[in-house]
Amino acid sequence: MNPVLNMDAATLSPIALFLQADWVVKSVMAGLLLASIWTWAIIIAFSGRLRRTRAEMGRFERDFWKAEDIDAFHKAESNRDLPSARVFSAGVQEWRRSTASGTVDKGGTRERLATSMGAAVALEIDKLSDRLNILATIGSVAPFVGLFGTVWGIMRSFTSIASAQNSSLAVVAPGIAEALFATAIGLFAAIPAVIAYNRFSHGVNKVEAGLNRFADGFHTTLSRQLDAAR
Amino acid sequence: MERGEKLAIGIAVAGHAVLFALLSLGFLASPEPLKPSVPPVEVSLVEDIALEQTSPAPTAEAAPSIAPEQGPPEDAAPPAPAEYAPAPEPAPAPVPAPAPKVAPAPAPQPRPKPAPAPVPVPKPKPAPPRPTPAAEKAAPAKPAPAKPAAATPAKAAPAKTATAAAKPAAKSAAAKGSGASPTATAARPRGSRLGDDFLKGLSDRPSPSKAEAAPAAKMGAQAAANIGSAILRQVQPCANRQVNPGPGAERIRVAINLRLNRDGTLAGKPRVVGHTGVDDENQRYVDRVDDLAIATFTGCSPLRGLPDELYDVQNGWSNFTLRYKLPG
Repeated sequence: MNPVLNMDAATLSPIALFLQADWVVKSVMAGLLLASIWTWAIIIAFSGRLRRTRAEMGRFERDFWKAEDIDAFHKAESNRDLPSARVFSAGVQEWRRSTASGTVDKGGTRERLATSMGAAVALEIDKLSDRLNILATIGSVAPFVGLFGTVWGIMRSFTSIASAQNSSLAVVAPGIAEALFATAIGLFAAIPAVIAYNRFSHGVNKVEAGLNRFADGFHTTLSRQLDAAR
Repeated sequence: MERGEKLAIGIAVAGHAVLFALLSLGFLASPEPLKPSVPPVEVSLVEDIALEQTSPAPTAEAAPSIAPEQGPPEDAAPPAPAEYAPAPEPAPAPVPAPAPKVAPAPAPQPRPKPAPAPVPVPKPKPAPPRPTPAAEKAAPAKPAPAKPAAATPAKAAPAKTATAAAKPAAKSAAAKGSGASPTATAARPRGSRLGDDFLKGLSDRPSPSKAEAAPAAKMGAQAAANIGSAILRQVQPCANRQVNPGPGAERIRVAINLRLNRDGTLAGKPRVVGHTGVDDENQRYVDRVDDLAIATFTGCSPLRGLPDELYDVQNGWSNFTLRYKLPG
């Protein structure tokens, strides 16, 4: 490997290509580079968070189904920062509110329990998938932004042909190489973003399905309790 | 933004920095391409050749008059006779040379017509003993007169004279064999074969001519070709911008006349003075090609770098005609 910084146009040096470019192309490249950094930051953060959340949810649900006393379990576990815990907590709170008065409307209570736990699931999924829209945006827009930089750079190359009155490839080639580098960075940012978006959407869907299963199970438990009370 | 995201941003920034540093430091750069070992050859594309020729700076001075040496280098002159003194001992061989000269005289073939058989036979016989030793001088000489005398008594007198002439010859040959032979020393070639008068007409005085360059102030073939290709090279950008009007138009060659100022600008509009390569297919484009040729030369008109000394000489580039065709 050559330890010297390559600044000639013949090598594929990103810094040389960046420094030789027009300011429009430069700003496009800088924006796309930031987008790429942001994409990878989301990928790294989100994958860890998703894996941790799913593992803890599985453990929480196992503990819940093993627990004998729901009130005691709620007292011990409801403060945890976990989607399952918050859905569980929402169900328990709605149950307490509905059964606080003397007369209980069983149908209305079941409906309210289902609604409140569904709302809690939806809120958790919204919070979890907060960053995914950024990945989707970068994945769909970055190629076009890069293409814009390329088109601008090629236009500039053609005007330089006209001003130099020389159509040899040595005049045109550096400008076109710089311009194409903008598209390259756009694809460099977009491809991981699209892959990560699809993968994380699948992961979030699985989390949502798991939460809904847990909420339904908890709802059936409470509903049975409601019937057994009278 | 939570702590995990900050950490992730840090990791992403570091990863991008490392990746772009590696790319910039030539991680992906291909190794230096091998330079072709073929030495570059300078090529000048010449469009025309001129009809006249100039010589490259003729010199008026003649070459020095030194005659060429022929033959092997000579040894020192004085020892030559002393060295060749022993050589004549085997050199009785040259001696027979004079002897046959004498022998044909006594034995003319037409003469022994009455008795042809005996006459030729005895003469070869005495001849072999003669060259061999110098001691048998008398023996070969005697039979020679005896046989002709017997065979042709009428002609004995001339035969005797012949033998008498032969005897001194043999004696002189014997004398030569013992001492230095003048013929042997004179035979060796030396010096040149030029005649003694080969210096006639040459003098060692310097030539009165002072000419150093070509006497003709005239643009020659190579200069014309160089100027023509220099002009075509300079108008090439304008030529490349011209649009080919139709198929076959690039075969039309336009002879175009340029009148130029000394600074390379056009003194007048270029004139088309002729065409070649016009055929049925492209003759309708002739006018268009003329316009394109004129536009080419006016578009790139200040011509640079033409040699100033060839501006106003005969056939110089103040009024220059060259042939142009559309690229392609």
